[in-house]
Amino acid sequence: MSDITNSELDRRTLLRRAAAVGVAATPAVGMLSACVGGGGDEKNEQATGTKSADNPLGIDPKAGIEIVIFDGGLGTKYATDVDTPMYTKKWPESKVTYNATEQIATTIKPRLNAGNAPDMINNSGADMMDFGAIVKAGQAADLTDLFAAPSFDIEGKTVAETLVPGAIEQGTYDVEGGRKPFAVNYSFTVFGLYYNKKLFDKNGWTVPTTWADFTALCDKIKAAGITPFAYAGSNAAYYMVRAIMTSAAKIGTEQVLKDLDNLKPGAWQAPAIKQAAEAWGQIGAKYMNKSFLGLRHTEVQLQQNQDKVAIYPCGSWLENEQAASITPNFEYAVMPYPSVTTSDQLPATAINAAAGEIYFASTKGKNVQGGKEYLRVMLSKAAALEFTKLTKSLTVVAGAADGQTISPGLTSGNDMLTKAGKDVFMGYLWDTWYKKMNDASLEAVNALMFNGGDAQKFCDTMEKVAQEVAKDSSIAKNTRA
Amino acid sequence: MMKLKSIPGAETVAAGVAAKPQRSTRDGRKVNPLGGVAHLALFLWALATVGPLIWVVLASFKTNEEIFLGEPFSLPDSYSLTSYADAWREAHIGEYFLNSVFVVLVSTAGTMLLGSMAAYVLARYKFVGNRFIYYLFVSGLAFPTFMALAPLFGIAQSLNLLDSYFGLILIYIAYSLSFTVFFLVAFFRTLPHEIEEAATVDGAGHLRRFFQVMMPMAKSGLVSITIFNIVGQWNQYLLPVVIMQSESKYVLTQGIANISVSAGYQAQWGQLFAALTLSILPMIVVYAIFQRQIQAGLTAGAVK
Amino acid sequence: MRHGKYPFIIGFLAVPVALYAIFVVGAYLQMFRLSLTDWTGYGTFKDIGFDNFVKLWNDPVVWTALRHNAYLLLVMPLAIIAIALLFAFLLNVGGGSKGGMTRGVWGSKVYRVVFFFPQLLALALVAVIFQRVYGPDKSGMINGLLPDSWEPWLFLADENWALTCILIVLVWQAVGFYVVLFSAGMGSISQEIYEAAALDGANRITLFFRITMPLLWGNIQVAWIYLGIAAFDAFALVNIMTVNQGGPNNSTQVLSMQIYLNAFKYSQAGYASAIGVVLFFLALSFAWLTLRVTRRDSVEA
Repeated sequence: MSDITNSELDRRTLLRRAAAVGVAATPAVGMLSACVGGGGDEKNEQATGTKSADNPLGIDPKAGIEIVIFDGGLGTKYATDVDTPMYTKKWPESKVTYNATEQIATTIKPRLNAGNAPDMINNSGADMMDFGAIVKAGQAADLTDLFAAPSFDIEGKTVAETLVPGAIEQGTYDVEGGRKPFAVNYSFTVFGLYYNKKLFDKNGWTVPTTWADFTALCDKIKAAGITPFAYAGSNAAYYMVRAIMTSAAKIGTEQVLKDLDNLKPGAWQAPAIKQAAEAWGQIGAKYMNKSFLGLRHTEVQLQQNQDKVAIYPCGSWLENEQAASITPNFEYAVMPYPSVTTSDQLPATAINAAAGEIYFASTKGKNVQGGKEYLRVMLSKAAALEFTKLTKSLTVVAGAADGQTISPGLTSGNDMLTKAGKDVFMGYLWDTWYKKMNDASLEAVNALMFNGGDAQKFCDTMEKVAQEVAKDSSIAKNTRA
Repeated sequence: MMKLKSIPGAETVAAGVAAKPQRSTRDGRKVNPLGGVAHLALFLWALATVGPLIWVVLASFKTNEEIFLGEPFSLPDSYSLTSYADAWREAHIGEYFLNSVFVVLVSTAGTMLLGSMAAYVLARYKFVGNRFIYYLFVSGLAFPTFMALAPLFGIAQSLNLLDSYFGLILIYIAYSLSFTVFFLVAFFRTLPHEIEEAATVDGAGHLRRFFQVMMPMAKSGLVSITIFNIVGQWNQYLLPVVIMQSESKYVLTQGIANISVSAGYQAQWGQLFAALTLSILPMIVVYAIFQRQIQAGLTAGAVK
Repeated sequence: MRHGKYPFIIGFLAVPVALYAIFVVGAYLQMFRLSLTDWTGYGTFKDIGFDNFVKLWNDPVVWTALRHNAYLLLVMPLAIIAIALLFAFLLNVGGGSKGGMTRGVWGSKVYRVVFFFPQLLALALVAVIFQRVYGPDKSGMINGLLPDSWEPWLFLADENWALTCILIVLVWQAVGFYVVLFSAGMGSISQEIYEAAALDGANRITLFFRITMPLLWGNIQVAWIYLGIAAFDAFALVNIMTVNQGGPNNSTQVLSMQIYLNAFKYSQAGYASAIGVVLFFLALSFAWLTLRVTRRDSVEA
């Protein structure tokens, strides 16, 4: 009998709880569509303060900020040990709530839509959000005031004036009311072919500048029992896409890439693209084996550290990423892509270097100006230098790391940048603008490199995808001059 | 692949063996000429099951060079625990493990209580809307979970359940109800009506019939579905990713995903394998301890 | 006898139905709603009627994915149930009998523990492990075991075999659970039934198919539906293990991956929802069909 009484009680408790849930849920169900789509229309309360010379962005010194850092190749130390202490020193009463995640989109996107986002977000990694869509949805804050504000620690200059050319341009988007900057692309990456300098020195191999030299070198490396060139088809085929894009730009100038970005009909059939694809397709057919199609970037990079792979196309984050696997016999160095033809329009020293790694302040945060202030701290010379020291990656803050010897790979990259002079091009944006096209290019480049090197097929496939994207009205378009 | 080949042959063996029992009742254990084939099949499958796990444990002690250049089942050069220390410190495997245990214990209990209540009523009572509610539950089986993620976030937020174990538990229960109700309705329908009717004659109310008559009779079905739910909720990954935002509250699957992603960026394979081992080991211990109870529970229905 | 029936029914159903309606039905109603919009996944959206479904009909990748789901749906439950039935049989009655009780082969308890174990590992974890087990060069576990003179098998990098590799992992993980499930079912089949049938002169194969199978039918039916639903998913493995998430050359593309890619990578949440709606109806028809087809054969224990 007592069992029954107890159960009865439990049931009542449960019912009460259910009723409570039910009451809470009724408005919630009504709000559902608002949660999903309408969140963008609501005006959320913003913390603000008074603008002054000391407080150019007008933040509320007492309001806390929430930041989210992508926990990937760059680590998170620069945020926890450098940027946040610098920010807190300046604004001791503003509490910084910090989170790191590998999964930016999964954790942040719902919060953006719900109007409850962090104030400053590092959008990066395999799970990054489509930034163009965020801008279009009004979820990223206009950073015009940030770039016009005085630099945090360089007297007499605005933030914009302290940055390398093109750094702001890359985070600028077409919106109603003109082109505006929405993102800080913080790290400055140089792209090239990475190799082990000690291995090359030991074997007397020299850096090739022409394609004939390059293939001759590959033959020598192959004869030494080492895979001359490789990339990871399983999850890093975009390194190979960049290789082809870089070669194409050197053959026919950056205009070739701009046409791709603008989805110009026939852009993928341009002779420069085809020549680049053909040249690389041959390298794939001759010097790579199919196992690389199934390997991941960490595995191939490790093989390079073990001198099983000689040349690897990558960006300047590579050295930091591999820090744990570098042996005393290994020293990273980087070379520009060799000229494919003798009539290349850009010189052999020309390189692709671009700002990357998006940081943005969200309009869906509670303290957007605070988020911008955090970015202003990051863009200080002192923070930039520490970032470079910690991550072995340059930043867009011009000359912040000049005169510093930090690591061989970084020095080598810096040399390459200096030698390139004015022949540095930003590259292409279609891969971030049109994710579907990006994914198609990964499959296409794998087919090119591992299935016999049919350059025409590569061009045809990509041209078809590009035109499909151009015709699809559900995909928001961007243009580039 | 070889294990797959051995199956067709072994199946006929199995069928043959099935009929054997009655003949050898007197002399106790009888050596079965075909037992060898059966053993081989079982042994190979066991090997295929354990192999990758042993390989993971071995790799956790190895350096990157050993993992990528050496033989897969060679013994590591040294048994240093640095990888484990790193994985433990950086990955908080212990904490996440306990978080998972807590959440799954509570939510499975909740699922079983609520699920069996609903299933009992749906299986044994006629009322308007019965079929509708039943099919509503069953249709949930066909929902792709990750389509629910974005809306679910909004719902959890408006109920103030984000980043809370209570919220996660409610959501686990809600998402486990489909299969639980589906399974238990079928099960309750098969139970005989006589005992229940006898209880009614004795004056037992609805509640007492449920808790004192039906639940004990349904024990084997309840145990099966409990295990289904424990396993399913233990392995759940998508739901906690949406609900549990702060790292200190992660459940184990989130922790592992974190490690595998960061190992992917920093190429610390030893640490990844150590973390995998750390998350596997407690499972072995827990399962070894409760194995008997699980088996007993599952076979309870057989003992009359 | 029936007094107080309705309060009781309502009392028992209120909480489960409320929870389910709020968190599950509520969430999915939105999926249906969004399938008719052009929502990108960020900000606001507008209604576009059935455009997403028209687009889906003409999307060759969706069709490829559908074919792969069909392959998994046909092969996976069949393979798992067949293997699990066989092992359950061996473990329970494969060892002859003693004192009138049938029993399993020597060591059957250990086998049961071992077989069941992979089920306790999160699928994400299994995927991470098998990614390396299937390594396409000598560093992969399987290739490392093959003789040095052999060319390494490509596994996931071979478009003809990649999906089968995924299938094998699914089988590897799930068999143990169903061995335990079927074992429990077999344990509850009474000896007398076998004896009576044997006296009637039924041979051994007939015994298995006429007695064991029908008596386990309820279990098999549940397993079939559960595995069938799982075959519509396969997301974790494809996402973590395969070349370019669904490759090479879309050879491991499945509908769940397409939903994920469209919803989270391509900013086409509306379109992804439409695929989700299609997936929902496919899975529902599968469950309904299975129940219909298998209903009459069920033997009530």
